[in-house]
Formats: sequence, structure tokens, C-alpha cells
Amino acid sequence: MTTNQTTAGLSRTTYQRVVYGIIALAVLGLFAGIIVDRPLVGTAVYLVGAWVGGGFAFLAPRLSSAQLHDERDYVLHNRASGLLLKILTVITLATVPALYVLEAADYLTISGALGGSIGTLSALFILYGVCYGIVKRRG
Amino acid sequence: MENDLKQRRATHDLSQAGLGEAVGVSRQTINAIERGRYDPSLELAFELAAHFDCRIEDIFTPE
Repeated sequence: MTTNQTTAGLSRTTYQRVVYGIIALAVLGLFAGIIVDRPLVGTAVYLVGAWVGGGFAFLAPRLSSAQLHDERDYVLHNRASGLLLKILTVITLATVPALYVLEAADYLTISGALGGSIGTLSALFILYGVCYGIVKRRG
Repeated sequence: MENDLKQRRATHDLSQAGLGEAVGVSRQTINAIERGRYDPSLELAFELAAHFDCRIEDIFTPE
């Protein structure tokens, strides 16, 4: 808890600017590629940006002697993750069972994209359960 | 929890950034503690108490 934030090479502000800047450039590159009808180039720019930005975000806190995150950042991250899960749970419980009932009653057909979304949500909840179990065992 | 961190910081002529640097957290975290929007961990509370050479309960009081 006594790490100096300003004397080390990389400050917290610089770290955040670099990460958000790279990701913003990657997203802009993707949309620019789509707009100028060069989707492959745009996607490649996005891919490189995602890897470089993600890699920097992952490695910098481990390699830098500066403290780039503090305890409040982790608390906020945990709260945001919890809120996201609550929102997804409410949306899923409120809509998915009704969709299957309506499909069974021949009022609608669940499309491939919708089915894929439901599958992805289900996988997310299962993965959350696995992660919760791991964290609980470690804690 | 209520705290008198702002007054103690003023007494020691410390900025939020300076205090944050001294105890290893960001200026925003010190600001959030002062405004009562964030309760620090026990570890950080000990750091703050050590920095001001007092006990934790001298700085923080339950609401």
C-alpha cells in the first residue's frame, strides 16, 4: 500500500489514457473500415488494437512498479460486475421462459440468432457459477 | 462511516493527491473516502491512521 504513483515510469493517468486510447483507435478503425468498404482492413485494425490494448492493460500492472489500480478500483469493478449480472438475470428471467412458452404455443419462432443469444446467456451464468465456486474455495 | 480525513489533511497541509501517494491509493479514492462514498479496507484504514499517527477510531466513526 505504499507504492509511489508518480516517481515510477508509468503513472495511473498515463496508463488509463494509453489503454482507452488504443481501444478507441481500434473501434474507430473498425467503423472507418466498414464506412470506406474495407471491412477486412477495419477488422484487422480492431484485432491489433484489441490485442495490443488488452495486452498492455494486462501486463502493465504486473511489470510496472507504479500502482495503476487501487482497492477502490477493484471494489467498483466488483460492484459493476454484480450489477451487470443482476440486470442480465432480470432480463433473462423476465423474457426467456415467456419466449419458450410462446414458441410452444406457436405464437412465435425462436430464430437462430435469438437462440444463440439465449445459449450465450446460459453459458455466462454457468461460467459465473464455476467462477463463484473457485473464488469461494480460494477465499 | 463518518471521518475527519479532510480536516486532518488540511491540518497537515496535504493535498488529496499527496495523501493518496503517501498511503498508496489514488486521489479519487481519498476524495471518495472524504465524501463518505467509499469505506476503506482495514489495511488502508491502518495506513491512514499510521500516517496521521493516531488510531483508526480517531479518524473513522460509525454513523
